[in-house]
Amino acid sequence: MNEQTDPSSSHSIIQVRDLRKDFGYLQALSGVSFDLNKGEFLTIFGPNGAGKTTLIKILTGLMHPTSGSAIIDGFDVLECDAELRNQIGVISHATCLYPDLTALENLLFYAKLYCLDDPEERANESIKAAGLQLRRHDQVRTYSRGMQQRMAIARATLHNPSVLFLDEPFTGLDLRATNALKDQLHDLHIDKRTIIMTTHDISCGLEMCDRVAIQNKGKFLLLESIDRIDLENFEHFYTEVLEK
Amino acid sequence: MNRYFNQVKAIVWKDFITELKTRELFSSMFIFALLVIVIFIFSIDLSIVKASEIGPGVLWVAFLFAGTIGLNRSFMLEKENDCLQGLLLAPVDRTALYFGKLISNFVFLLIMEAFILPIFMIFFNVDLIPHLLPLIYVIFAGTLGFCAIGTLLSSLSANLKTRDIMLPILLYPLIIPIIIGSVRMTGQILMGEPLSNMMNWISLVLCFDVIYIAISIMMIDFVLEE
Repeated sequence: MNEQTDPSSSHSIIQVRDLRKDFGYLQALSGVSFDLNKGEFLTIFGPNGAGKTTLIKILTGLMHPTSGSAIIDGFDVLECDAELRNQIGVISHATCLYPDLTALENLLFYAKLYCLDDPEERANESIKAAGLQLRRHDQVRTYSRGMQQRMAIARATLHNPSVLFLDEPFTGLDLRATNALKDQLHDLHIDKRTIIMTTHDISCGLEMCDRVAIQNKGKFLLLESIDRIDLENFEHFYTEVLEK
Repeated sequence: MNRYFNQVKAIVWKDFITELKTRELFSSMFIFALLVIVIFIFSIDLSIVKASEIGPGVLWVAFLFAGTIGLNRSFMLEKENDCLQGLLLAPVDRTALYFGKLISNFVFLLIMEAFILPIFMIFFNVDLIPHLLPLIYVIFAGTLGFCAIGTLLSSLSANLKTRDIMLPILLYPLIIPIIIGSVRMTGQILMGEPLSNMMNWISLVLCFDVIYIAISIMMIDFVLEE
């Protein structure tokens, strides 16, 4: 049974301490630590193989760390019980939607899994928020990539989670779909949700975040407030940090 | 507990809706089972061999092979678009996932078997009607055991690159006691023996049903973890 930590002990909604993950001889994470306050948006940049997805998988309870600890909204990630999973939503480049089901059926299914009150109404509300109500009876496989990603956000936020994890959400999206997704993420941020996003898209990543991290070889090489970052020269700075 | 059953029900509902739309699983299982029976009927001379002796083996081979196709497909469905990740992220007990998939597989297989039985009757010229009740019992018990361990192994093999090969390799050795028991009982039923004469086989199959369900409940957490 998970116990919630005393909220007065910290203002952070996410507390990560010395998180490590080994795959045999390969160290995917080697001591990641950070705190994140409620409503903050952290963007993590890093090259392929830096350990970003591993970090997200551990924080969402999909993978066990080799050592270290992570607390989300007072719940220990290592315990990964239902209460924690009710607090988090995950969006990745895979939509987690059944292609043969319609948008409504997909969300209805997830609403039932999360045991939401009035699943049909909640599913319809989420589809409306994603702007897909006219195509709610169409199979998801007939949707464009951008529409599928909007549906993925609708799925991930169906249960109103306080923390959102986004793992490369812009992968494969065209400019229009990217802008639509950015607008949706902006609304979620305004809605005071805590967001952690990994991306290779520097402009999208910097545009929305409050804090920036650069991860490489399983470590955070930088974790800084966006106010202290020189946005004009970030690409050059990013390359320099990686080469150090 | 109500929450648990609702989640199991949701998984079964999703699998049925998907199958109603695609009919991929049923059609592939049915055609495969039909082919097995047709191939056997042309290779057996029923004027030399009794249908009640050879028939049960053919019937269960058809169920077994067709069922393997169904099991393989079962978790493949969850791998498309990484839907399994969506399930694992939901506040659902892993055993609820297992039971949802088990019930879907079990019902799909029973439906396929219900369609295959009349075809078996016609091709093998066997009258199953007088033995229908005990036969349904045997098919029910055998199919349950097959699906119980098959669902666990299909969730395990779904993460492997060689999933199509690995499932039968892992499944068939484990399913042997249940299949032997089911074939024996089916044969004796076709020869007109009552179920009370085959308590040993009934106990064997039911024991393995319980063992495989218990093992699956204990293992499913580890199997689904990355």
